[in-house]
Amino acid sequence: MTDTLTHQQAIPAATATKAPRPSTLTRQGRRSRAGSLLASGWVLGAAVVVVVPLLYLVSISVMTQAQIASGILVPTDPAWQNWADAWNSPLPRGVLNSLIAAFGGAVLSLALAVPGAWTIARHRTGGKTLSGLILSPWLLPPIVAIVPLLTLLRMVGLSNTLTGLTLVYALMNVPVAIWLLDGFIRRIPVDIEESGRIDGANELQLLCRIVVPLLVPALIAVGVIIAILNYNEFLFATFLTQSEESQTVTVLLAGMLSERVQDFGRMAASSLIAVIPIFTIAVLLQRWLVEGLTTGAVK
Amino acid sequence: MVLLVLAAYPLLFIVSASLTRSSLGQPFQEFLGTENLRATIGSAAVQNSLLLGTGYAIGVALASTVLGTATAVALWRSLKSGVIIRTVLLLPMIVPPVVVGILFSFIFSPSGGLIDTLIKIVSPGSGTYAILSDTTWAIFGVALADVWEWTPLVVLLVFTALLGQDQEITEAAQLDGANGLQLFGHITLPMVAGTIAAAFLIRLILAFKVFDLVYVMTAGGPGSSTEVPAYLIWRSALQNFDVGTAASITLLLAVVATIVTLPVFWITKRHRHD
Repeated sequence: MTDTLTHQQAIPAATATKAPRPSTLTRQGRRSRAGSLLASGWVLGAAVVVVVPLLYLVSISVMTQAQIASGILVPTDPAWQNWADAWNSPLPRGVLNSLIAAFGGAVLSLALAVPGAWTIARHRTGGKTLSGLILSPWLLPPIVAIVPLLTLLRMVGLSNTLTGLTLVYALMNVPVAIWLLDGFIRRIPVDIEESGRIDGANELQLLCRIVVPLLVPALIAVGVIIAILNYNEFLFATFLTQSEESQTVTVLLAGMLSERVQDFGRMAASSLIAVIPIFTIAVLLQRWLVEGLTTGAVK
Repeated sequence: MVLLVLAAYPLLFIVSASLTRSSLGQPFQEFLGTENLRATIGSAAVQNSLLLGTGYAIGVALASTVLGTATAVALWRSLKSGVIIRTVLLLPMIVPPVVVGILFSFIFSPSGGLIDTLIKIVSPGSGTYAILSDTTWAIFGVALADVWEWTPLVVLLVFTALLGQDQEITEAAQLDGANGLQLFGHITLPMVAGTIAAAFLIRLILAFKVFDLVYVMTAGGPGSSTEVPAYLIWRSALQNFDVGTAASITLLLAVVATIVTLPVFWITKRHRHD
Protein backbone atom coordinates (compact mmCIF):
# COMPACT_ATOMS: atom_id res chain seq x y z
CA MET A 1 0.00 0.00 0.00
CA THR A 2 2.72 2.46 0.95
CA ASP A 3 4.66 1.48 -2.17
CA THR A 4 1.84 2.45 -4.46
CA LEU A 5 1.31 5.68 -2.58
CA THR A 6 4.87 6.85 -3.04
CA HIS A 7 4.73 5.85 -6.68
CA GLN A 8 1.62 7.86 -7.34
CA GLN A 9 3.01 10.91 -5.62
CA ALA A 10 6.35 10.56 -7.37
CA ILE A 11 4.93 11.11 -10.84
CA PRO A 12 3.84 14.75 -10.43
CA ALA A 13 7.10 15.45 -8.60
CA ALA A 14 9.09 14.13 -11.55
CA THR A 15 7.14 16.09 -14.13
CA ALA A 16 7.65 19.21 -12.06
CA THR A 17 11.42 18.94 -12.57
CA LYS A 18 10.78 19.55 -16.25
CA ALA A 19 9.13 22.88 -15.55
CA PRO A 20 10.99 24.86 -18.28
CA ARG A 21 8.60 23.50 -20.87
CA PRO A 22 5.12 24.12 -19.53
CA SER A 23 3.33 22.78 -22.63
CA THR A 24 4.87 19.33 -22.15
CA LEU A 25 3.97 19.45 -18.51
CA THR A 26 0.27 19.94 -19.09
CA ARG A 27 0.16 17.43 -21.91
CA GLN A 28 1.90 14.88 -19.76
CA GLY A 29 -0.28 15.63 -16.80
CA ARG A 30 -3.33 15.08 -18.91
CA ARG A 31 -1.96 11.86 -20.36
CA SER A 32 -1.17 10.59 -16.89
CA ARG A 33 -4.66 11.40 -15.66
CA ALA A 34 -6.18 9.72 -18.70
CA GLY A 35 -3.94 6.73 -17.94
CA SER A 36 -5.23 6.52 -14.40
CA LEU A 37 -8.78 6.73 -15.63
CA LEU A 38 -8.11 3.98 -18.15
CA ALA A 39 -6.51 1.88 -15.41
CA SER A 40 -9.48 2.31 -13.07
CA GLY A 41 -11.85 1.48 -15.90
CA TRP A 42 -9.88 -1.66 -16.72
CA VAL A 43 -9.89 -2.77 -13.06
CA LEU A 44 -13.62 -2.18 -12.85
CA GLY A 45 -14.14 -4.14 -16.07
CA ALA A 46 -12.05 -7.02 -14.76
CA ALA A 47 -14.01 -7.11 -11.51
CA VAL A 48 -17.27 -7.22 -13.50
CA VAL A 49 -15.97 -10.08 -15.66
CA VAL A 50 -15.02 -12.03 -12.53
CA VAL A 51 -18.21 -11.39 -10.60
CA VAL A 52 -20.94 -11.53 -13.27
CA PRO A 53 -20.64 -15.30 -14.01
CA LEU A 54 -20.79 -16.03 -10.27
CA LEU A 55 -23.85 -13.82 -9.80
CA TYR A 56 -25.42 -15.51 -12.82
CA LEU A 57 -24.94 -18.85 -11.07
CA VAL A 58 -26.71 -17.47 -7.99
CA SER A 59 -29.51 -16.20 -10.20
CA ILE A 60 -29.96 -19.57 -11.95
CA SER A 61 -30.03 -21.33 -8.60
CA VAL A 62 -33.32 -19.61 -7.76
CA MET A 63 -34.98 -20.11 -11.16
CA THR A 64 -37.23 -22.86 -12.39
CA GLN A 65 -36.49 -24.59 -15.69
CA ALA A 66 -39.24 -22.56 -17.37
CA GLN A 67 -37.89 -19.27 -16.05
CA ILE A 68 -34.40 -20.07 -17.37
CA ALA A 69 -35.72 -21.01 -20.82
CA SER A 70 -37.83 -17.84 -21.04
CA GLY A 71 -34.61 -15.79 -21.11
CA ILE A 72 -34.83 -13.73 -17.93
CA LEU A 73 -31.70 -12.96 -15.94
CA VAL A 74 -33.13 -12.15 -12.51
CA PRO A 75 -36.28 -13.95 -11.41
CA THR A 76 -39.03 -11.86 -9.80
CA ASP A 77 -40.33 -14.92 -8.02
CA PRO A 78 -37.32 -16.85 -6.61
CA ALA A 79 -37.65 -20.63 -6.65
CA TRP A 80 -36.02 -21.55 -3.32
CA GLN A 81 -37.12 -25.12 -3.92
CA ASN A 82 -33.85 -25.73 -5.84
CA TRP A 83 -31.84 -25.10 -2.67
CA ALA A 84 -34.06 -27.39 -0.62
CA ASP A 85 -33.73 -30.11 -3.28
CA ALA A 86 -29.97 -29.72 -3.35
CA TRP A 87 -29.72 -29.84 0.43
CA ASN A 88 -31.93 -32.93 0.74
CA SER A 89 -29.65 -35.07 -1.39
CA PRO A 90 -26.32 -36.85 -0.87
CA LEU A 91 -24.68 -33.45 -1.50
CA PRO A 92 -24.00 -32.30 2.11
CA ARG A 93 -22.42 -35.68 2.77
CA GLY A 94 -20.24 -35.14 -0.31
CA VAL A 95 -19.15 -31.71 0.93
CA LEU A 96 -18.21 -33.22 4.28
CA ASN A 97 -16.29 -36.04 2.56
CA SER A 98 -14.46 -33.51 0.41
CA LEU A 99 -13.51 -31.38 3.40
CA ILE A 100 -12.21 -34.41 5.33
CA ALA A 101 -10.13 -35.69 2.41
CA ALA A 102 -8.93 -32.20 1.51
CA PHE A 103 -7.73 -31.14 4.96
CA GLY A 104 -6.62 -34.60 6.09
CA GLY A 105 -4.58 -34.90 2.91
CA ALA A 106 -3.13 -31.42 3.28
CA VAL A 107 -1.96 -32.00 6.87
CA LEU A 108 -0.32 -35.30 5.91
CA SER A 109 1.30 -33.70 2.84
CA LEU A 110 2.83 -31.00 5.02
CA ALA A 111 4.08 -33.52 7.58
CA LEU A 112 5.81 -35.43 4.80
CA ALA A 113 7.03 -32.36 2.94
CA VAL A 114 8.57 -30.21 5.70
CA PRO A 115 11.60 -32.44 6.41
CA GLY A 116 12.14 -32.93 2.69
CA ALA A 117 11.81 -29.27 1.81
CA TRP A 118 14.14 -28.28 4.66
CA THR A 119 16.77 -30.80 3.63
CA ILE A 120 16.62 -29.68 0.01
CA ALA A 121 16.66 -25.96 0.79
CA ARG A 122 19.40 -26.10 3.44
CA HIS A 123 21.72 -28.89 2.51
CA ARG A 124 21.30 -28.59 -1.24
CA THR A 125 20.79 -32.35 -1.34
CA GLY A 126 20.66 -33.53 -4.92
CA GLY A 127 20.97 -29.99 -6.23
CA LYS A 128 18.69 -28.69 -8.94
CA THR A 129 18.16 -32.10 -10.53
CA LEU A 130 16.35 -33.41 -7.47
CA SER A 131 13.97 -30.49 -7.08
CA GLY A 132 13.29 -30.69 -10.81
CA LEU A 133 12.63 -34.42 -10.65
CA ILE A 134 10.36 -34.08 -7.63
CA LEU A 135 8.07 -31.72 -9.46
CA SER A 136 8.20 -33.51 -12.80
CA PRO A 137 5.12 -35.74 -12.22
CA TRP A 138 3.12 -32.57 -11.71
CA LEU A 139 3.82 -31.61 -15.32
CA LEU A 140 1.95 -34.61 -16.68
CA PRO A 141 -1.77 -35.32 -16.65
CA PRO A 142 -2.17 -37.68 -13.70
CA ILE A 143 -4.51 -40.09 -15.46
CA VAL A 144 -2.10 -42.94 -16.01
CA ALA A 145 -0.87 -42.72 -12.42
CA ILE A 146 -4.37 -43.75 -11.38
CA VAL A 147 -3.76 -47.29 -12.56
CA PRO A 148 -0.90 -48.21 -10.20
CA LEU A 149 -2.65 -46.35 -7.37
CA LEU A 150 -5.86 -48.25 -7.88
CA THR A 151 -3.97 -51.56 -7.78
CA LEU A 152 -2.09 -50.46 -4.68
CA LEU A 153 -5.24 -49.40 -2.83
CA ARG A 154 -7.01 -52.61 -3.73
CA MET A 155 -4.09 -54.59 -2.30
CA VAL A 156 -4.28 -52.84 1.06
CA GLY A 157 -8.10 -52.92 1.04
CA LEU A 158 -8.59 -49.17 0.92
CA SER A 159 -10.26 -48.78 -2.46
CA ASN A 160 -13.60 -46.96 -2.31
CA THR A 161 -12.86 -45.51 1.09
CA LEU A 162 -12.30 -41.94 2.13
CA THR A 163 -9.10 -43.03 3.92
CA GLY A 164 -7.70 -44.30 0.63
CA LEU A 165 -8.50 -41.04 -1.16
CA THR A 166 -7.02 -38.99 1.69
CA LEU A 167 -3.77 -40.97 1.51
CA VAL A 168 -3.60 -40.55 -2.27
CA TYR A 169 -4.12 -36.78 -1.93
CA ALA A 170 -1.45 -36.67 0.76
CA LEU A 171 1.16 -38.39 -1.41
CA MET A 172 0.13 -36.60 -4.59
CA ASN A 173 0.77 -33.13 -3.19
CA VAL A 174 4.06 -33.72 -1.39
CA PRO A 175 6.03 -32.43 -4.41
CA VAL A 176 3.82 -29.34 -4.70
CA ALA A 177 4.19 -28.71 -0.95
CA ILE A 178 7.98 -29.02 -1.13
CA TRP A 179 8.08 -26.66 -4.09
CA LEU A 180 5.89 -24.06 -2.39
CA LEU A 181 7.66 -24.32 0.99
CA ASP A 182 11.10 -23.92 -0.55
CA GLY A 183 10.69 -20.15 -1.00
CA PHE A 184 9.66 -19.73 2.64
CA ILE A 185 12.44 -21.86 4.11
CA ARG A 186 15.07 -19.89 2.19
CA ARG A 187 13.84 -16.75 3.93
CA ILE A 188 14.70 -18.10 7.38
CA PRO A 189 18.14 -16.71 8.27
CA VAL A 190 20.69 -19.51 8.48
CA ASP A 191 22.18 -17.80 11.55
CA ILE A 192 19.23 -18.88 13.69
CA GLU A 193 19.80 -22.51 12.81
CA GLU A 194 23.58 -22.12 13.27
CA SER A 195 23.15 -20.78 16.79
CA GLY A 196 20.82 -23.67 17.57
CA ARG A 197 23.43 -26.08 16.28
CA ILE A 198 26.14 -24.46 18.42
CA ASP A 199 23.87 -24.87 21.45
CA GLY A 200 23.96 -28.59 20.76
CA ALA A 201 20.65 -29.27 19.07
CA ASN A 202 20.59 -32.26 16.76
CA GLU A 203 18.93 -32.17 13.33
CA LEU A 204 15.55 -33.38 14.60
CA GLN A 205 15.46 -30.86 17.45
CA LEU A 206 16.53 -28.15 15.03
CA LEU A 207 13.64 -29.04 12.75
CA CYS A 208 10.97 -29.34 15.44
CA ARG A 209 12.01 -26.54 17.79
CA ILE A 210 13.36 -23.91 15.41
CA VAL A 211 12.33 -24.44 11.80
CA VAL A 212 8.71 -25.53 12.22
CA PRO A 213 7.72 -22.72 14.65
CA LEU A 214 9.23 -20.16 12.26
CA LEU A 215 7.34 -21.73 9.38
CA VAL A 216 3.84 -21.57 10.92
CA PRO A 217 2.51 -18.82 8.59
CA ALA A 218 4.00 -20.66 5.61
CA LEU A 219 2.45 -23.93 6.73
CA ILE A 220 -0.98 -22.29 6.96
CA ALA A 221 -0.54 -20.71 3.52
CA VAL A 222 0.68 -23.83 1.77
CA GLY A 223 -1.73 -26.05 3.68
CA VAL A 224 -4.73 -24.00 2.55
CA ILE A 225 -3.57 -23.99 -1.06
CA ILE A 226 -3.17 -27.77 -1.04
CA ALA A 227 -6.49 -28.27 0.74
CA ILE A 228 -8.21 -26.23 -1.99
CA LEU A 229 -6.45 -28.22 -4.71
CA ASN A 230 -7.67 -31.42 -3.01
CA TYR A 231 -11.19 -30.12 -2.52
CA ASN A 232 -11.43 -29.24 -6.22
CA GLU A 233 -9.90 -32.49 -7.42
CA PHE A 234 -12.16 -34.60 -9.59
CA LEU A 235 -10.37 -37.24 -11.64
CA PHE A 236 -8.88 -39.32 -8.80
CA ALA A 237 -12.02 -38.97 -6.74
CA THR A 238 -14.23 -40.50 -9.46
CA PHE A 239 -12.11 -43.61 -9.61
CA LEU A 240 -11.17 -44.03 -5.99
CA THR A 241 -14.58 -43.31 -4.45
CA GLN A 242 -17.26 -45.25 -6.29
CA SER A 243 -19.43 -46.01 -3.26
CA GLU A 244 -22.03 -43.44 -2.29
CA GLU A 245 -20.84 -42.92 1.27
CA SER A 246 -17.31 -42.04 0.14
CA GLN A 247 -18.10 -39.86 -2.90
CA THR A 248 -16.76 -36.33 -2.85
CA VAL A 249 -18.69 -33.27 -3.92
CA THR A 250 -17.03 -32.85 -7.33
CA VAL A 251 -17.95 -36.44 -8.20
CA LEU A 252 -21.57 -35.82 -7.22
CA LEU A 253 -21.71 -32.62 -9.27
CA ALA A 254 -20.24 -34.24 -12.36
CA GLY A 255 -22.69 -37.09 -11.87
CA MET A 256 -25.60 -34.65 -12.18
CA LEU A 257 -24.50 -33.95 -15.75
CA SER A 258 -25.27 -37.52 -16.80
CA GLU A 259 -28.81 -37.44 -15.39
CA ARG A 260 -31.46 -37.92 -18.06
CA VAL A 261 -33.21 -34.63 -17.37
CA GLN A 262 -30.80 -31.94 -16.29
CA ASP A 263 -32.27 -29.61 -13.72
CA PHE A 264 -30.20 -26.44 -14.17
CA GLY A 265 -31.61 -24.76 -11.08
CA ARG A 266 -30.78 -27.64 -8.75
CA MET A 267 -27.33 -28.02 -10.36
CA ALA A 268 -26.61 -24.34 -9.78
CA ALA A 269 -27.79 -24.53 -6.15
CA SER A 270 -25.66 -27.66 -5.62
CA SER A 271 -22.62 -25.97 -7.19
CA LEU A 272 -23.05 -23.02 -4.82
CA ILE A 273 -23.39 -25.28 -1.78
CA ALA A 274 -20.15 -26.94 -2.90
CA VAL A 275 -18.38 -23.62 -3.29
CA ILE A 276 -19.54 -21.91 -0.08
CA PRO A 277 -17.18 -23.76 2.32
CA ILE A 278 -14.03 -22.96 0.33
CA PHE A 279 -15.12 -19.40 -0.38
CA THR A 280 -15.54 -18.90 3.35
CA ILE A 281 -12.13 -20.37 4.09
CA ALA A 282 -10.51 -18.34 1.32
CA VAL A 283 -12.05 -15.06 2.45
CA LEU A 284 -11.05 -15.66 6.07
CA LEU A 285 -7.52 -16.72 5.18
CA GLN A 286 -6.99 -14.61 2.07
CA ARG A 287 -3.88 -12.90 3.44
CA TRP A 288 -2.15 -16.26 3.95
CA LEU A 289 -3.45 -17.60 0.69
CA VAL A 290 -2.06 -14.71 -1.33
CA GLU A 291 1.21 -14.92 0.58
CA GLY A 292 1.52 -18.62 -0.13
CA LEU A 293 0.79 -18.25 -3.83
CA THR A 294 3.15 -15.35 -4.40
CA THR A 295 6.09 -16.47 -2.25
CA GLY A 296 5.81 -20.12 -3.11
CA ALA A 297 5.10 -20.14 -6.81
CA VAL A 298 7.51 -17.46 -7.98
CA LYS A 299 10.88 -17.42 -6.33
CA MET B 1 15.07 -41.17 -0.77
CA VAL B 2 11.43 -41.94 -0.09
CA LEU B 3 10.58 -38.79 -2.02
CA LEU B 4 12.64 -39.94 -4.96
CA VAL B 5 10.77 -43.25 -5.09
CA LEU B 6 7.48 -41.42 -4.76
CA ALA B 7 8.33 -39.18 -7.69
CA ALA B 8 9.86 -41.87 -9.85
CA TYR B 9 7.17 -44.52 -9.33
CA PRO B 10 4.48 -43.05 -11.63
CA LEU B 11 7.10 -42.26 -14.26
CA LEU B 12 8.48 -45.79 -14.18
CA PHE B 13 4.99 -47.21 -14.36
CA ILE B 14 4.16 -45.08 -17.39
CA VAL B 15 7.35 -46.05 -19.22
CA SER B 16 6.94 -49.78 -18.54
CA ALA B 17 3.23 -49.73 -19.39
CA SER B 18 3.96 -48.05 -22.70
CA LEU B 19 6.35 -50.88 -23.60
CA THR B 20 3.90 -53.68 -22.83
CA ARG B 21 0.40 -54.83 -23.60
CA SER B 22 -1.42 -53.56 -20.55
CA SER B 23 -5.09 -53.48 -19.68
CA LEU B 24 -6.70 -51.75 -16.73
CA GLY B 25 -7.01 -54.94 -14.67
CA GLN B 26 -3.80 -56.59 -15.81
CA PRO B 27 -0.79 -54.44 -16.52
CA PHE B 28 2.32 -55.81 -18.21
CA GLN B 29 0.86 -58.82 -20.01
CA GLU B 30 3.55 -59.13 -22.64
CA PHE B 31 6.52 -57.12 -23.79
CA LEU B 32 5.85 -55.27 -27.02
CA GLY B 33 8.88 -53.01 -27.31
CA THR B 34 8.08 -49.83 -29.17
CA GLU B 35 4.94 -51.18 -30.85
CA ASN B 36 2.56 -49.09 -28.71
CA LEU B 37 4.60 -45.98 -29.24
CA ARG B 38 4.81 -46.45 -33.00
CA ALA B 39 1.06 -47.10 -33.22
CA THR B 40 0.22 -43.96 -31.22
CA ILE B 41 2.64 -41.74 -33.14
CA GLY B 42 1.08 -42.93 -36.39
CA SER B 43 -2.49 -42.43 -35.18
CA ALA B 44 -4.26 -39.43 -36.70
CA ALA B 45 -6.42 -39.04 -33.59
CA VAL B 46 -3.35 -38.76 -31.37
CA GLN B 47 -1.62 -36.32 -33.72
CA ASN B 48 -4.70 -34.12 -33.93
CA SER B 49 -5.13 -34.22 -30.19
CA LEU B 50 -1.51 -33.23 -29.51
CA LEU B 51 -1.77 -30.43 -32.04
CA LEU B 52 -5.02 -29.23 -30.50
CA GLY B 53 -3.57 -29.49 -27.00
CA THR B 54 -0.46 -27.50 -27.94
CA GLY B 55 -2.45 -24.77 -29.69
CA TYR B 56 -4.87 -24.64 -26.78
CA ALA B 57 -2.11 -24.43 -24.16
CA ILE B 58 -0.19 -21.68 -25.97
CA GLY B 59 -3.35 -19.71 -26.78
CA VAL B 60 -4.79 -19.92 -23.29
CA ALA B 61 -1.44 -19.18 -21.63
CA LEU B 62 -0.87 -16.16 -23.88
CA ALA B 63 -4.38 -14.81 -23.33
CA SER B 64 -4.13 -15.27 -19.56
CA THR B 65 -0.69 -13.69 -19.35
CA VAL B 66 -1.54 -10.65 -21.49
CA LEU B 67 -4.89 -10.04 -19.79
CA GLY B 68 -3.45 -10.82 -16.36
CA THR B 69 -0.46 -8.50 -16.77
CA ALA B 70 -2.66 -5.69 -18.10
CA THR B 71 -5.02 -6.08 -15.14
CA ALA B 72 -2.15 -6.21 -12.66
CA VAL B 73 -0.65 -2.99 -14.09
CA ALA B 74 -4.06 -1.31 -14.06
CA LEU B 75 -4.58 -2.38 -10.48
CA TRP B 76 -1.18 -1.03 -9.52
CA ARG B 77 -1.80 2.29 -11.31
CA SER B 78 -5.27 2.85 -9.92
CA LEU B 79 -4.26 2.26 -6.30
CA LYS B 80 -7.16 0.01 -5.55
CA SER B 81 -5.06 -2.68 -3.95
CA GLY B 82 -7.55 -3.20 -1.15
CA VAL B 83 -8.58 -6.43 0.45
CA ILE B 84 -11.87 -6.56 -1.46
CA ILE B 85 -10.32 -6.58 -4.91
CA ARG B 86 -7.77 -9.21 -3.86
CA THR B 87 -10.53 -11.44 -2.52
CA VAL B 88 -12.60 -11.00 -5.67
CA LEU B 89 -9.56 -11.97 -7.72
CA LEU B 90 -9.07 -15.11 -5.65
CA LEU B 91 -12.59 -16.40 -6.22
CA PRO B 92 -12.35 -17.87 -9.76
CA MET B 93 -9.26 -19.93 -9.04
CA ILE B 94 -10.70 -21.57 -5.96
CA VAL B 95 -13.92 -22.60 -7.70
CA PRO B 96 -13.61 -26.31 -8.53
CA PRO B 97 -13.03 -26.74 -12.31
CA VAL B 98 -16.09 -29.00 -12.36
CA VAL B 99 -18.21 -26.09 -11.14
CA VAL B 100 -16.53 -23.69 -13.59
CA GLY B 101 -17.47 -26.14 -16.35
CA ILE B 102 -21.08 -26.33 -15.19
CA LEU B 103 -21.23 -22.53 -14.88
CA PHE B 104 -19.92 -21.90 -18.39
CA SER B 105 -22.20 -24.59 -19.82
CA PHE B 106 -25.06 -22.49 -18.41
CA ILE B 107 -23.58 -19.30 -19.84
CA PHE B 108 -23.20 -20.85 -23.32
CA SER B 109 -26.53 -22.69 -23.18
CA PRO B 110 -28.58 -21.97 -26.33
CA SER B 111 -31.84 -22.05 -24.38
CA GLY B 112 -31.77 -19.13 -21.99
CA GLY B 113 -28.03 -19.01 -21.26
CA LEU B 114 -26.39 -15.71 -20.32
CA ILE B 115 -24.89 -15.07 -23.76
CA ASP B 116 -28.04 -16.19 -25.58
CA THR B 117 -30.19 -13.93 -23.41
CA LEU B 118 -27.89 -10.93 -23.82
CA ILE B 119 -27.83 -11.36 -27.62
CA LYS B 120 -31.63 -11.55 -27.65
CA ILE B 121 -31.85 -8.33 -25.64
CA VAL B 122 -29.47 -6.49 -27.97
CA SER B 123 -30.98 -7.81 -31.19
CA PRO B 124 -34.34 -9.50 -30.69
CA GLY B 125 -35.23 -12.22 -33.14
CA SER B 126 -31.65 -13.24 -33.91
CA GLY B 127 -30.81 -16.94 -34.12
CA THR B 128 -29.49 -19.04 -31.26
CA TYR B 129 -25.81 -19.70 -30.79
CA ALA B 130 -24.87 -23.10 -29.41
CA ILE B 131 -21.16 -22.46 -28.97
CA LEU B 132 -20.39 -25.75 -27.26
CA SER B 133 -22.07 -27.82 -30.00
CA ASP B 134 -20.08 -26.18 -32.78
CA THR B 135 -17.00 -28.07 -33.98
CA THR B 136 -15.03 -24.84 -34.53
CA TRP B 137 -16.13 -22.80 -31.53
CA ALA B 138 -16.47 -25.41 -28.78
CA ILE B 139 -12.75 -25.32 -27.96
CA PHE B 140 -12.91 -21.54 -27.64
CA GLY B 141 -15.78 -21.93 -25.19
CA VAL B 142 -13.63 -24.24 -23.06
CA ALA B 143 -10.68 -21.86 -23.42
CA LEU B 144 -12.77 -18.93 -22.22
CA ALA B 145 -13.76 -20.82 -19.07
CA ASP B 146 -10.10 -21.73 -18.54
CA VAL B 147 -8.95 -18.12 -18.99
CA TRP B 148 -11.64 -16.94 -16.59
CA GLU B 149 -10.53 -19.40 -13.94
CA TRP B 150 -6.75 -18.94 -14.03
CA THR B 151 -6.04 -15.38 -15.22
CA PRO B 152 -6.44 -14.12 -11.61
CA LEU B 153 -3.37 -16.15 -10.65
CA VAL B 154 -1.31 -14.19 -13.20
CA VAL B 155 -2.79 -10.92 -11.89
CA LEU B 156 -1.89 -11.83 -8.34
CA LEU B 157 1.69 -12.84 -9.13
CA VAL B 158 2.47 -9.83 -11.33
CA PHE B 159 0.72 -7.39 -9.00
CA THR B 160 2.75 -8.60 -6.03
CA ALA B 161 5.94 -8.27 -8.07
CA LEU B 162 4.98 -4.70 -9.04
CA LEU B 163 4.42 -3.78 -5.40
CA GLY B 164 7.70 -5.38 -4.37
CA GLN B 165 9.94 -3.67 -6.90
CA ASP B 166 12.80 -1.48 -5.80
CA GLN B 167 11.49 2.08 -5.55
CA GLU B 168 14.95 3.64 -5.53
CA ILE B 169 15.68 2.63 -9.12
CA THR B 170 12.37 4.05 -10.29
CA GLU B 171 12.98 7.30 -8.45
CA ALA B 172 16.50 7.59 -9.85
CA ALA B 173 15.14 7.15 -13.37
CA GLN B 174 12.50 9.81 -12.70
CA LEU B 175 15.17 12.24 -11.57
CA ASP B 176 17.02 11.53 -14.81
CA GLY B 177 13.91 12.74 -16.62
CA ALA B 178 12.25 9.49 -17.71
CA ASN B 179 8.56 10.05 -18.43
CA GLY B 180 5.75 7.69 -17.47
CA LEU B 181 5.87 5.54 -20.56
CA GLN B 182 9.67 5.32 -20.67
CA LEU B 183 9.72 4.54 -16.99
CA PHE B 184 7.28 1.72 -17.46
CA GLY B 185 8.93 0.27 -20.56
CA HIS B 186 12.54 0.49 -19.45
CA ILE B 187 12.40 0.14 -15.68
CA THR B 188 9.16 -1.34 -14.39
CA LEU B 189 8.51 -3.95 -17.05
CA PRO B 190 12.05 -5.42 -17.06
CA MET B 191 11.92 -5.66 -13.27
CA VAL B 192 8.82 -7.82 -13.31
CA ALA B 193 9.61 -9.65 -16.57
CA GLY B 194 10.86 -12.69 -14.68
CA THR B 195 7.60 -12.96 -12.78
CA ILE B 196 5.58 -12.58 -15.96
CA ALA B 197 7.61 -15.35 -17.60
CA ALA B 198 7.14 -17.59 -14.56
CA ALA B 199 3.40 -16.93 -14.54
CA PHE B 200 3.27 -17.80 -18.25
CA LEU B 201 5.13 -21.03 -17.52
CA ILE B 202 2.75 -22.07 -14.75
CA ARG B 203 -0.21 -21.18 -16.94
CA LEU B 204 1.19 -23.17 -19.88
CA ILE B 205 1.58 -26.29 -17.76
CA LEU B 206 -1.92 -25.96 -16.29
CA ALA B 207 -3.39 -25.56 -19.79
CA PHE B 208 -1.57 -28.65 -21.12
CA LYS B 209 -3.25 -30.70 -18.41
CA VAL B 210 -6.81 -29.41 -18.93
CA PHE B 211 -9.29 -32.24 -18.34
CA ASP B 212 -12.14 -31.42 -15.94
CA LEU B 213 -13.45 -28.54 -18.06
CA VAL B 214 -13.53 -30.64 -21.21
CA TYR B 215 -15.11 -33.57 -19.36
CA VAL B 216 -17.90 -31.39 -17.99
CA MET B 217 -18.48 -28.98 -20.88
CA THR B 218 -18.09 -30.99 -24.08
CA ALA B 219 -16.92 -34.57 -23.30
CA GLY B 220 -14.37 -34.16 -26.10
CA GLY B 221 -17.05 -33.35 -28.65
CA PRO B 222 -18.71 -32.43 -30.85
CA GLY B 223 -16.96 -35.13 -32.86
CA SER B 224 -13.41 -34.99 -31.57
CA SER B 225 -13.13 -31.21 -31.81
CA THR B 226 -12.27 -30.71 -28.13
CA GLU B 227 -10.43 -33.98 -27.53
CA VAL B 228 -7.38 -32.56 -25.75
CA PRO B 229 -4.54 -34.99 -24.88
CA ALA B 230 -5.55 -35.48 -21.24
CA TYR B 231 -9.07 -36.39 -22.34
CA LEU B 232 -7.78 -38.79 -25.02
CA ILE B 233 -5.53 -40.49 -22.46
CA TRP B 234 -8.43 -40.82 -20.06
CA ARG B 235 -10.57 -42.34 -22.81
CA SER B 236 -7.98 -44.93 -23.81
CA ALA B 237 -7.17 -45.90 -20.24
CA LEU B 238 -10.57 -45.93 -18.59
CA GLN B 239 -13.06 -46.40 -21.41
CA ASN B 240 -11.08 -48.67 -23.73
CA PHE B 241 -9.05 -50.16 -20.84
CA ASP B 242 -5.92 -49.93 -22.99
CA VAL B 243 -3.34 -48.72 -20.48
CA GLY B 244 -0.44 -49.43 -22.85
CA THR B 245 -1.75 -46.95 -25.41
CA ALA B 246 -2.70 -44.44 -22.71
CA ALA B 247 0.83 -44.58 -21.30
CA SER B 248 2.29 -44.11 -24.78
CA ILE B 249 0.16 -41.01 -25.38
CA THR B 250 1.22 -39.69 -21.97
CA LEU B 251 4.88 -40.08 -22.98
CA LEU B 252 4.27 -38.32 -26.28
CA LEU B 253 2.48 -35.52 -24.47
CA ALA B 254 5.43 -35.27 -22.08
CA VAL B 255 7.79 -34.86 -25.05
CA VAL B 256 5.59 -32.26 -26.76
CA ALA B 257 4.99 -30.34 -23.51
CA THR B 258 8.73 -30.35 -22.76
CA ILE B 259 9.59 -29.04 -26.23
CA VAL B 260 7.08 -26.22 -25.86
CA THR B 261 7.88 -25.43 -22.22
CA LEU B 262 11.68 -25.60 -22.27
CA PRO B 263 12.31 -22.28 -24.10
CA VAL B 264 9.94 -20.53 -21.68
CA PHE B 265 11.71 -22.22 -18.78
CA TRP B 266 15.09 -20.95 -20.00
CA ILE B 267 13.76 -17.43 -20.41
CA THR B 268 12.34 -17.55 -16.89
CA LYS B 269 15.66 -18.72 -15.47
CA ARG B 270 17.68 -16.08 -17.29
CA HIS B 271 15.47 -13.31 -15.91
CA ARG B 272 15.80 -14.72 -12.42
CA HIS B 273 19.58 -14.54 -12.53
CA ASP B 274 19.76 -10.97 -13.78
